[in-house]
Amino acid sequence: MGIDQEVLERYHLGICSVQEQQLVEEWLFSADADELDLVAFDGSKADLKQEMWTEIRGVLPKNIAAVKPKSNAYFMWKGAIAASLFIVAMGAAAYFTFGINSVAENPSLSFSNSSAQHVKRIDAKSYNVSLGPNSSAKINSAAGVIDLSGSLLISPKKDVEWQFEGTTKKVTLKKGQTYIILKNSTGAEGIIVISESNLLDLPPVMQKQITTQFDI
Amino acid sequence: MIFNTFRLAAVLVCLLTLLGCKTKTEKKARYSFYILAKDGREYLIENDVLDQGNLTPEGNGVLLEGRNMDRDVIVKAGYYYHLDRKTALFSKSSIHDKKLKIQFNILLKDFSIENFNWLATDTLLLTGLNISGYNQTRFFLIDTKAMKVIRQGNMEIPKPAGKFTTLSIGLVDKQGEHLNIAYTYHIAKGVSDYITSDTMYVSALSYPEMKLLKTDKDVRSTYPGGINTIQSYSFIDGNNDSYFMTCPGIALGNRPEIPTGIFRIRSGASEIDKTYFFNISTSKINNHAYGMWPLGNGKVIVRSERKDLFKGLGDHYSTAHFEFYVLDLKSKDVTRLNLPLDKGTRRECVLVEGDTAYIAVNANKAGNFIWIYDIKTGSLKKGLQLGGDTDFILRMDKLN
Repeated sequence: MGIDQEVLERYHLGICSVQEQQLVEEWLFSADADELDLVAFDGSKADLKQEMWTEIRGVLPKNIAAVKPKSNAYFMWKGAIAASLFIVAMGAAAYFTFGINSVAENPSLSFSNSSAQHVKRIDAKSYNVSLGPNSSAKINSAAGVIDLSGSLLISPKKDVEWQFEGTTKKVTLKKGQTYIILKNSTGAEGIIVISESNLLDLPPVMQKQITTQFDI
Repeated sequence: MIFNTFRLAAVLVCLLTLLGCKTKTEKKARYSFYILAKDGREYLIENDVLDQGNLTPEGNGVLLEGRNMDRDVIVKAGYYYHLDRKTALFSKSSIHDKKLKIQFNILLKDFSIENFNWLATDTLLLTGLNISGYNQTRFFLIDTKAMKVIRQGNMEIPKPAGKFTTLSIGLVDKQGEHLNIAYTYHIAKGVSDYITSDTMYVSALSYPEMKLLKTDKDVRSTYPGGINTIQSYSFIDGNNDSYFMTCPGIALGNRPEIPTGIFRIRSGASEIDKTYFFNISTSKINNHAYGMWPLGNGKVIVRSERKDLFKGLGDHYSTAHFEFYVLDLKSKDVTRLNLPLDKGTRRECVLVEGDTAYIAVNANKAGNFIWIYDIKTGSLKKGLQLGGDTDFILRMDKLN
């Protein structure tokens, strides 16, 4: 059996069989395995280009009208258009400046780590995250919502209060501290949030797994 | 020339006297507290009394900077012994001029402590596991005066086999020429998914060769003891009988359907006394317990959880739900101590001196106090307060 998109999707959803899981992991960690056998594209390159161009033309403005002889009004309009363009440009600049700022302050980020062994590290604007093996997380710091499946280690760069998606459980994470968040089952009771300084309160078998996994 | 020699000698005597005075003024405190503050910082506070006063970590404590100290520390005769997991350095430190200073370091490679035992004043036996896998039992015998490893190696305890991936050592007792070691196995599937075997084992090993002599099994409970650098679970009484508790609850064994109990190994024996079992879960405590401290005269204090007050592991450490009970090991009488509910899953929080037991309690609203329990009369009163930024008193140790 080969690795295809379908198997990979099932693997990430955690619904594949043990045999499939082994195959995917072998493939993921093997440097000389076959390339991914994605669903083949069954058309020519030229057809695809044509199709794309048709789509682009559909949203472009209609052909510009033929140039007419210049009248006196031309110069007046030229000035007015230039002024309008300037105003539009300024508006656009302002929009992008403030728009981008607000986006950067309120990012909604999704991460996933399909490795069965290794931790994935992510540096975001307001926090650093290490995502555990076979884990995925979605953090919307604007809405203050976090969704997690698996395990993660997080160090916020400012104090935050987040709610777990689909639950009423809220958690306050303080700047400068490191927290371990674990979620295995659905609902608030399957969630464990513990600061690194309370790590020794977790069962020793779990501590050993966590310190090994996150190298802390 | 002679005059000069005398003058030199006089100056030296004066200097030595001055130095002597200086060392004498640096008084050794009797007790030590390990504090976790509300902002996540950790402190050590040394103090001479437990029965009165108010100390704050920020005012009276030594801030623990860096990561070479944690609450899994062994405190003895003015020194703090700690193994740093990351650097593998086993350090001997003490507090001077409001700073924790490391005096000696020795390298204990690929080692994680499960249990410590003082075999003599300056002979420390550390038993534990390899960090690379947590599946091989190892030991280091250390001369703590010279800070030198006297002997080290593997212990002949069967490695986890079959479905089992790791193990826990919960009790190490030296009985004559052999060691009794109680342990159990686990299946660890991921960071938050593990289970403990329903069987506990006691192996007798020759000392100091660490060769297996015999193994005894028991299925009345599981997960014997725990990591005793963090909390106490066993003791040897005046008759040299060894008592230990088992901890199958969610905070240690994760087999909550199995009862928590106290077991006995008779003096000189190497198997669990099959005639003795104190079932804590079916007593009026009706909960799992973790932590046991001897009061003398066949009585102990245990610290038990309240399953009706916490939801799961996520709030087990932060919710105040722990109660303290006095147990009579012979009559099996159980007496609840009228203390505020305590928080923190694992803590070294009881010190016994004569007829007085000092109990450190982290109450939610009533504050962090050392309570004074009169073992004879049963009276309880508040003593020293740990105020200010204190969130948890994680340890209370006799320092000198």
